Amino acid sequence: MEDTMTTSQGGESDMDYSDNEYYDYYNTNDDIDIEQLDPRKIDPEYFEFSCLLEEQVDRLLNETVETLSNNLQIPPSLAKVLLHSNQWNISELTKKFNENSTRTLIAARIEPATPPGSLLLTRYVNCSVCVTVQPLDRFYSLSCAHMFCRDCWSMHFEVQINQGISTGIACMARNCIVLAPEDFVLKHLQRPNMREKYQQFSFQDYVKSHPQLRFCPGPNCSIVVHSKEVKAKRSTCNQCKTVFCFKCGCDYHAPTECQVIKKWLTKCADDSETANYISAHTKDCPKCHICIEKNGGCNHMQCYNCKHDFCWMCLGDWKSHGSEYYECSRYRENPNIAHESVHAQAREALKKYLHYYERWENHSKSLKLEEQTLEKLRSRINQKVMSGLGTWIDWQYLFTAANLLAKCRYTLQYTYPYAYYMDTGSRKELFEYQQAQLEAEIENLSWKIERAETTDRGDLENQMDIAEKRRTTLLKDFLDV
Amino acid sequence: MANIAAQRIKREFKEVIKSEEVAKCAIKVELLNDSYTELKGEIAGPPDTPYEGGNFVLEIRVPETYPFNPPKVRFITKIWHPNISSVTGAICLDILKDQWAAAMTLRTVLLSLQALLSAAEPDDPQDAVVARQYKENLEMFKLTAKHWTNAYAGGPFVNTDCDEKIKRLIDMGIEEHQARVALSSYNWDLERATEQLFS
Ligand SMILES: [Zn+2]
Ligand SMILES: [Zn+2]
Ligand SMILES: [Zn+2]
Ligand SMILES: [Zn+2]
Ligand SMILES: [Zn+2]
Ligand SMILES: [Zn+2]
Repeated sequence: MEDTMTTSQGGESDMDYSDNEYYDYYNTNDDIDIEQLDPRKIDPEYFEFSCLLEEQVDRLLNETVETLSNNLQIPPSLAKVLLHSNQWNISELTKKFNENSTRTLIAARIEPATPPGSLLLTRYVNCSVCVTVQPLDRFYSLSCAHMFCRDCWSMHFEVQINQGISTGIACMARNCIVLAPEDFVLKHLQRPNMREKYQQFSFQDYVKSHPQLRFCPGPNCSIVVHSKEVKAKRSTCNQCKTVFCFKCGCDYHAPTECQVIKKWLTKCADDSETANYISAHTKDCPKCHICIEKNGGCNHMQCYNCKHDFCWMCLGDWKSHGSEYYECSRYRENPNIAHESVHAQAREALKKYLHYYERWENHSKSLKLEEQTLEKLRSRINQKVMSGLGTWIDWQYLFTAANLLAKCRYTLQYTYPYAYYMDTGSRKELFEYQQAQLEAEIENLSWKIERAETTDRGDLENQMDIAEKRRTTLLKDFLDV
Repeated sequence: MANIAAQRIKREFKEVIKSEEVAKCAIKVELLNDSYTELKGEIAGPPDTPYEGGNFVLEIRVPETYPFNPPKVRFITKIWHPNISSVTGAICLDILKDQWAAAMTLRTVLLSLQALLSAAEPDDPQDAVVARQYKENLEMFKLTAKHWTNAYAGGPFVNTDCDEKIKRLIDMGIEEHQARVALSSYNWDLERATEQLFS
């Protein structure tokens, strides 16, 4: 299923970019239509990124290493250690190095804090690790001048690599933290599988230490996403299609920030038992009290018995939800809570958490239910097409609508942790107002899609437009990345 | 690889035997098998600490990858210390983990453990109960550690109050070590210890 409503996916253009030269992308700005408006201004989720293969990442890293190596007149392997410990920031590093090169090299663990004493060079030396006396030409040392025999170095490296350590392998001397650079390690690794393992692990380390690079979190996917903008924006892998936050690599979570969503998810995991009781699939109709099962994603419910329209979340009359008095998403805090007992405060805190958690959880479930609705819709339309009632193209707009609904509801779900951690005040009031508006339009859209065949196409498209506008407005005002 | 390990242990064993610490009876090491993979270590409780006068036995296992990986060491003698588990004897010490260097030796390890007994690091605890007592009630900690040294490591300081409380719990059918742990964990509050044991 192609997502054809991609007005707000800056990354799409990258994905279609047939030539895989990552740097070319940034250099071909000259053909931009002047008439076209700047997408950065229209779309709060606009994000430029490219999906790179391992070789392309290697090339990108090597170019950076080479540049720094030339700038500072140091060997490439040392430039690599410097970059790895300085977030690959060439300009910052060049500045630091020019101010005080010794301090920079010590901080990156390339040189020892105290310069090594003069060496006593005899023809035979005792290796303190394997306790054997060997000719001097079998001994090697890092900048700290701690000498060990060739065999001990390679054994040391093999043991470390087998434990998954690569860029962080230090000297074998006591209290010495000088790191072994890549060329030194490779010189002492004979076995090809060991060299391969080392290069694989260090590649992982380099990508993880590079703020402009992010491994695709998709299962068994080796794509690395590259962006010059280090922001919590939505990136989509062009191989496995996984959607994730560029900054933290987790599920995309706008408008909530990376740190906040992490806190929220931890809290939800910790409090899962307390919250379990609310995950019911059935509720009683608030009017006739007949048991109603929720089998669609829409939270606007209609009792099959008495036809009463009500809200699944708060069981309130749906009539009050459609208007501007929509209050369902907002949590009413007790204004006198500071004067209440500790127990009352704890109860209030739990109540507040459950309010947000319940809505967060409910929209996540609705997303899944709406996916099922879409499947059913697909088979119904298939039948229609088979029996000559229009073509797939005629019904395409319904799928477009369903995809848009999923996108909107996804954002809505992530507005709840955002609101939970907000301080009370006018900003929160504005946020909750916009959230309520978005929620109301999403439920309207969901209601219309569930009754797709009887809904007027123009009416549905109008509803899509309103919902997406509400979503963009909220993100424009609150997506602060 | 195992070859280097045995070679090293052989050499280190001699080094410890000949060291001045052995002469002063501060540390000791003994081979338990011919393959140099299992050893018994002993350290004396440092002076001016609650462990003074005690003798602490350690289990030392030498991995095949020694000295590129650290030896596995734990206390056999029961001890009350924030960085040593009062249950298993497991030790939280950086050089036995990621701060190990291949050029370190058994002697380094034993001396570092002795230093750990002189200077605990309650912010990096192995035993949370002991660490909390250390931070909240240092005098209570010292008393308890001294008592444990007397009970398990042959230390000279007898605390009749502790012994009496333990005896009271033994009379109620509680096993001695279990009684000592409960009382130590509750700052020698007999009532709370009893409550915990029978709850
Ligand atoms: Zn050697
Ligand atoms: Zn060194
Ligand atoms: Zn992927
Ligand atoms: Zn994030
Ligand atoms: Zn009803
Ligand atoms: Zn409601």
